[in-house]
Amino acid sequence: MFNRSKKRKAISYTVILFSSLLMLTPLVSAALNSLKSYKEYTAIPVQWIPNPFQWQNYIEVWKMTSMDTYAWNSFIVTVLSVIGALLSCSMVAYAFARLEFSFKNSLFVMVLGTLMIPPVVMIIPQFMIFNQLGLVDTLVPLWILEWLAQPFGVFLMRQAFLAIPKEYDEAAKLDGCNPFQTFVKVYLPMCKPQLATLTIFTFMTKWNEIMAPVIYLSSEDKFTLPIGILSMSGAWFGQEQYLVAAALMSLLPILIVFLFAEKYFVKGASSSGLK
Amino acid sequence: MPKLVDRVKPLKNRRRKKLSAEGRWGFLMVSPYLIQFVVFLSFPLAASLYFSFSKYDMLNAPKWIGVENYTTLIQDPVFHKALWNTFYFTILFVPAQTILALVLAVALNQSLKGLKFFRIAHFIPVICSWTVVLYVADAILNPRFGLANTILAKLGSNPQAWLGDEALIIPVLVAVAVWKGVGYMMIIFLAGLQNVPEDLYEAAEIEGAGVWKKFRHVTVPLISGTTFLVLVLTTITTFQSFEQIYVMTSHLGDVTSAGGPNNASMVLMLYLFQQGFSFLKMGYASAIAWVLFIILFGITMIQLKLQKKWVYYEK
Repeated sequence: MFNRSKKRKAISYTVILFSSLLMLTPLVSAALNSLKSYKEYTAIPVQWIPNPFQWQNYIEVWKMTSMDTYAWNSFIVTVLSVIGALLSCSMVAYAFARLEFSFKNSLFVMVLGTLMIPPVVMIIPQFMIFNQLGLVDTLVPLWILEWLAQPFGVFLMRQAFLAIPKEYDEAAKLDGCNPFQTFVKVYLPMCKPQLATLTIFTFMTKWNEIMAPVIYLSSEDKFTLPIGILSMSGAWFGQEQYLVAAALMSLLPILIVFLFAEKYFVKGASSSGLK
Repeated sequence: MPKLVDRVKPLKNRRRKKLSAEGRWGFLMVSPYLIQFVVFLSFPLAASLYFSFSKYDMLNAPKWIGVENYTTLIQDPVFHKALWNTFYFTILFVPAQTILALVLAVALNQSLKGLKFFRIAHFIPVICSWTVVLYVADAILNPRFGLANTILAKLGSNPQAWLGDEALIIPVLVAVAVWKGVGYMMIIFLAGLQNVPEDLYEAAEIEGAGVWKKFRHVTVPLISGTTFLVLVLTTITTFQSFEQIYVMTSHLGDVTSAGGPNNASMVLMLYLFQQGFSFLKMGYASAIAWVLFIILFGITMIQLKLQKKWVYYEK
């Protein structure tokens, strides 16, 4: 028995080490590429370690392109999305979890139902709506829907509220709180982990989003980082090490958040599977 | 008797008033979702169905043309190609990612040293945007100085064009997609595995079951619920995948070349995007969207039917 579990551990380690290697090799090679000169970048046979490390690649690409504009746009979209998601999802979820009102159940079934409809069907009419409102080629369509309670966040927050004992309700009512005050003062502070998960998930989705920016944005000064860097690739042909540096720079903020708040990423991922 | 009624009445009124106050708060608080449901879901759903039977270019009002969009689709060779590629991509990707994620989750589901490091290593690709993946993948797949061809050369094989090769492009894109997505799915499986009670494994060990038998007869049935959910959700998202192909097949950032070479990587979502937003054929694009919807609906129904055969539910 003892041997068997030892054998199992040995196999597990081999599998995981090998797969971690597969996961990290491309990232490490790209990081090394971003620090090379173009001559080293294209050297045959491959020169793995840049000599010297060209840290200035990062500074130069930031200075010579509109990356600051792209980063600012990404920042605006992400921050407004996060605020919207936190406010709207928790408020809607609280009503579904704790309040009694007519058609509550049928409304909640509708939320479930919307998960079944592939977003692709809605893309064109939604574009038409934003076009009518004169909001195409602005950042608004990229964040406004987050203010209208997306189902993932509603589910996440609803689960959190349902887990809180009902007695808190009664106590708040006796103190003369209306449902909204109860929600803000009593319930929200108790759901910090779920709010953190929702923040991080919205941040990750919005920071990395490509489809909506591609559909809605046409002026270069409105571009967010992922499509902005993509749009640079034609002009920087023959100096790709700069593009690699730009791409990795766009990863940096989310990587830092991830390394500090890894457990919330994990929580978000696992709750999306156990809805 | 009337006295009693008089006494009951005000109480009843008070109660109804209280309920309706809560009801009003309830409606007020779900109103963001209601707005979304009416304006951004129900109306678009109806409108896109109407557009799919119309000629519509965003500039002039939609003109009803009956089923013409759909009959054109049936004869459109690029649409056929896109349909086939979408199926091909999904059939390679979904099982590959699911099996790998399950294996990794089983391996990780024990007290190992460096567990956190392994989890982070597998999750970093998940947090990358597809633009980041494009340049990270280039370190491996670049036909001239990428790692893959360097290894092939060491082994004495011919170099490959990878994303430039019509026959290889979909499998290569699938491999990259697995690299990016497997960590996410692994986490979902890990959460599922943690719900499997330890005493079941102990019981199986007492009966003399080895690693494989325990996996086959304890783990697999008990996480079949999670597996099913994951399969349905990934199939749906994979069928609509757009970002990866848009980013990784646009040659030198020229997005009109996306889907190449020679439409070898054209998928339904990309075709829809090009028809709708590049050529302003919104009616035709809406018809593609509805065909996609119907196929997805069919696949989900089949999955639900088959689920009864292999998903184990605890009674």
